[in-house]
Amino acid sequence: MKKYLGKKIFIYLITFFFAVTIDWAIPRFMPGDPIQMLLSRFQGMEGGREIIEAQITASFGLDRPLLEQYFNFWGSLFKGDLGTSIYAFPEPVMNIIQQAIIFDILLLVPSILLSWIVGNKLGAFSGVNKKADKYTMPFFYFLTSSPYFWFAVVVVFFFGVQLPWFPINSAYSSMMRPGFNFAFIVDFLHHWFLPFLTLFLVQLGGWAIGMRNMIIYEMGSNYSKYMESLGASEKLIRKYAFRNGVLPQVTGLAIRLGNIVAGALTTQIVFSYPGLGYVLLKGILNQDYFLVQGCFLFIVIFVLLANFLVDIVYMFIDPRVRFSYSGEV
Amino acid sequence: MAKSEFWKKHENLYFAVTNGKVIFGLIIFMSILALAIFGPMFAKYDYEEFAGPGYMPPSKDFWFGTTLMGKDVFTRVVYGLRSTFVVGFVGGTIATFVGLIIGFLAGYYSGKLTDEVLMMITNIFLVIPTLALLIILSAYLPYRGILSQSIIIGLTAWTWTARAVRSQTMSLKNQEFVNLSRISAAPVTKIIAEDIAANMFSYVFMVYIIQFTGTILAAVSLEFLGLGPTQGISLGLVMQNAVNWNAIQLGLWWWAILPGLLLTILIVSLYFINTGLDEVFNPRLREM
Amino acid sequence: MKIHWKVLLGVLLVLLVSTMAFSYERDESFVFGGGLWGAPTNWNPLTPWAEVAGTGGLVYEFLFHYYPLTDEYQPWLAEKGEWVTPKVYELELRKDVKWTDGKSFTAEDVVFTFEVARNNALHYSNVWTWVTSVEALSPTKVRFTFGDNPHYQEWKIMLYDLRIIPKHIWADMSPEEYLTTANRNPVGTGPYMADSTGQDRMVWVRNDDWWGNDVFGQPKPKNLVNLVIYNNNVALGMLMKRELDLSNFFIPGVPKIKDTFGLTTWFQDAPYMIPENVALLFLNTTKGAMQDEPFRRALAFAIDPDMIAERVFEYQVEVANPAGLLGEGWMKYYDEEVAAEHGFGYDPETAAKMLDENGFVDADGDGWRDDKDGNAMKFEIIVPNGWTDWMESIKIIANNLKAVGINAVPSFPDYGIYMDQIQNGTFDMCINNFGSSRSTTPFSYWNWVANDEIDGEIVTDGNYSRYNDPELFTLIDEFNIMQDSDKGIMDKVSQIQAKLLEAMPSIPLWYNGLWAQMTTDVWTNWPTETNPTGYPCCWAGKMQFGFIEMLIELE
Repeated sequence: MKKYLGKKIFIYLITFFFAVTIDWAIPRFMPGDPIQMLLSRFQGMEGGREIIEAQITASFGLDRPLLEQYFNFWGSLFKGDLGTSIYAFPEPVMNIIQQAIIFDILLLVPSILLSWIVGNKLGAFSGVNKKADKYTMPFFYFLTSSPYFWFAVVVVFFFGVQLPWFPINSAYSSMMRPGFNFAFIVDFLHHWFLPFLTLFLVQLGGWAIGMRNMIIYEMGSNYSKYMESLGASEKLIRKYAFRNGVLPQVTGLAIRLGNIVAGALTTQIVFSYPGLGYVLLKGILNQDYFLVQGCFLFIVIFVLLANFLVDIVYMFIDPRVRFSYSGEV
Repeated sequence: MAKSEFWKKHENLYFAVTNGKVIFGLIIFMSILALAIFGPMFAKYDYEEFAGPGYMPPSKDFWFGTTLMGKDVFTRVVYGLRSTFVVGFVGGTIATFVGLIIGFLAGYYSGKLTDEVLMMITNIFLVIPTLALLIILSAYLPYRGILSQSIIIGLTAWTWTARAVRSQTMSLKNQEFVNLSRISAAPVTKIIAEDIAANMFSYVFMVYIIQFTGTILAAVSLEFLGLGPTQGISLGLVMQNAVNWNAIQLGLWWWAILPGLLLTILIVSLYFINTGLDEVFNPRLREM
Repeated sequence: MKIHWKVLLGVLLVLLVSTMAFSYERDESFVFGGGLWGAPTNWNPLTPWAEVAGTGGLVYEFLFHYYPLTDEYQPWLAEKGEWVTPKVYELELRKDVKWTDGKSFTAEDVVFTFEVARNNALHYSNVWTWVTSVEALSPTKVRFTFGDNPHYQEWKIMLYDLRIIPKHIWADMSPEEYLTTANRNPVGTGPYMADSTGQDRMVWVRNDDWWGNDVFGQPKPKNLVNLVIYNNNVALGMLMKRELDLSNFFIPGVPKIKDTFGLTTWFQDAPYMIPENVALLFLNTTKGAMQDEPFRRALAFAIDPDMIAERVFEYQVEVANPAGLLGEGWMKYYDEEVAAEHGFGYDPETAAKMLDENGFVDADGDGWRDDKDGNAMKFEIIVPNGWTDWMESIKIIANNLKAVGINAVPSFPDYGIYMDQIQNGTFDMCINNFGSSRSTTPFSYWNWVANDEIDGEIVTDGNYSRYNDPELFTLIDEFNIMQDSDKGIMDKVSQIQAKLLEAMPSIPLWYNGLWAQMTTDVWTNWPTETNPTGYPCCWAGKMQFGFIEMLIELE
């Protein structure tokens, strides 16, 4: 077990190292000059141009040799310094991301957990109930086939515009000041519901299908038949089948995390929801290299941590952890 | 029902072509593919042309209505579908191909250094969120085309295929016929190609379907973010335009919703084919 | 059970109190968006291009306000100003004006504002090439003495565009700080003061001791909440929910939905918006066929701006006149005869004829015209990616050019690359309007589209065409040193217009609007065509055009 965990951690560390290296390398070896870009925003200024130029070059460290830049990059990373945003100059990237990421967590964690739980239950139901399966299965397929952002558009169209029940953008009303009071929480939940619903439903389809297939496999397996011949009640067999089906679903969670996070990014854009996805889009549109890099890094860290959590959970529910398990999609 | 000799020999194929899900899926898939191939020929307009007044709901003249500016949504969608299929085929093929090679090699040399190294790379790519990687790559490419988009997606999407193929290969390679080939000193490429790959044909086909859907989903997401091809039209771009031009708030559902609906139906049809095939190859599911 | 009741009651009370506090605030607040594009970080009046919108206007005030719709000056910090001789200008300042830290505003502050640019490189330092001295004659009187060629036209702009800063604060700063300070707590003379900031907002609070309360009246809103809104979808969503009082965004569909959603615009019908600046197609005159004058003129005839106004903007914009002039301040110099003689209009046949006559014919039979030497021509038209209205516009332009056989393709590089290409001169054609806003004198426009600062490595402001005509530059400079009352001035402006039309380094296409949509749930009595009480524009550097006046008149 220690070996298993150790190996996992090792892989995550290597991945992190790799991600940071990509993060560092891409803007430096791609066309475009971030400093010229920034300076173009200061156009019209004559004498002060040099001062600003020097200051920016110094703070971005682009005038030093590449290798030194690379080590500096790691150094500042450990100090929590991801550089300065270009479009929100002189705001540090770290601040912008910190303010955004709370919205991601509030959207992602509940939607992942709830859709996983509800999806598995529905899938198990569908797996043993042939009649219901005829109708539910296409529905689940429909959900899981929808691009997140398209589903978001559909949800907005029906529940935000045609039936104006929910607000269609932002995380809270513009006149609200974030705080821990009742009015704000109600307002926040009101804005939160539709993006949550989008993420919840699209994910739900995938879990339900996965569990449905698992149950059908397990119910037809030798041990189920054996139990049946021993006279075990169908309820008990189902219970065992469900328990065995859950294991691959947990590993499935790890594999799908990246996709779910990606889905959340595009969903946030439809809702102009101020999480990382929205920040990332602003970064892309404004060619804000440092912001895009910072977002990428945080997404990777988020996915790595979540993977690690899943590993630990898996260790607890399956004592015979094996190193190799095949991916299921 | 009497089966002819041919069908007896190719039992799986028989089950495949008689499986309701496969037939249903194939019909839909083929119709949408036909729409992409032949649609542009039937389209009365150019996708950038102002075909009529703006804000027109679907009608005889404008099958999917018109945009705010009066462009024909149907024309835009069928042209967009074309590029979606191109990305799906090219990207899906690349992803499947890379995944297969890595999976075969790692599986064949399982336990050896080759395997360790390949699996390490696979695991790294597996946990890095693909879309985030795509975003950062695309964001720095000033000019992007359909082909470069497909290649980038294909080169990042192969990971789970490699893992799945590796474990399949591992179970196959210890079977007797493989051992026989090995004893007869057949080259590795030959063993993999003839003994292992050939026996996994059905599996590879299903993998390809999944890679295809994964690729088009990644592509439309990028296009929606504004990181798609810088020229031409694509489904994600049609949807991005609709959102940017307030189609949702202005009530132009035919512009905001129809293109994505078609895409979703396309993906559903592929899922149906896949589930159907799964039933064919795993008789236990067939009973359901 | 009793406890449960208490909990419920408590919750209800909290809810009640918090909603009350909330709605109270909204009634006294003016919520607007469209002029703030990122978290507020800079309130430095010496770097107006980087300042948070409102720093100039709400906090730091100007000597005059300028009303672009009537071409009138409203004395602001100055009570009056006049040329006492052709070389001497004297300002009479208002008495009883106080900085928000309690100190009095005097002539010394005005003198300092100018002097600081003499010793440091600031954006208006070149004023010292034509002003010889600025002196305080008394606490309320300032005298400006000019050199041989006073830049009369530039001076007219300066009077309403220069933020007056307090000497007692800025004199103590080091020269480096002038450009780099964020000036977090700005001290000005204006009707509002910087209050709280957030990632997505800048809140200004009313200065109840403002000197103008007795002169003009007090602005009604207690708070101004300027929201960072990243795109027009959000703005439209907020207008629908009545979260915004004023939106300064281009919003597609406004003509269609303004009545259903109860939105107010300046004009009841088309063009709905006040024409604010002119969007031009810049032609890179250093490249290929675009070096050729008749070729550039032919392009102007090939483009159909009416279609752009109709399709892309749904008539929210008007087509530009050939000279690209707009607004009272410029139109008094518009020469109809020159426009009739040298002007252009959409006429693809004429365009084709001009191209044929000048040797731009399809030499190799590939369907595209070739240049005079028979080489293939291909042009790229660029606008920044994501600027959806311009993206659609250049698609139309490309099609117009294709129709006359010119191979032109629209392209949407990201903003950074767009700027890079136009500054480094690697582009072929581009749309731009960054310096063509209405003003009191067409000098600002001409000096932007045709200035002589094209010798450096990059061109940062205007004349992206890199059109080099010393004669034209001289004409514009000569116009700058003329007074409006000078006899030869009409002749001069006609020559400039004729030259620009003959050479056609850039093609004026349409007037981008002062996009403004207002809701009437919290505030009414908006300025409109029939009730011109102000100028509904919150864009940075334009608040002296009537934004404060609007706030005073709101109900």
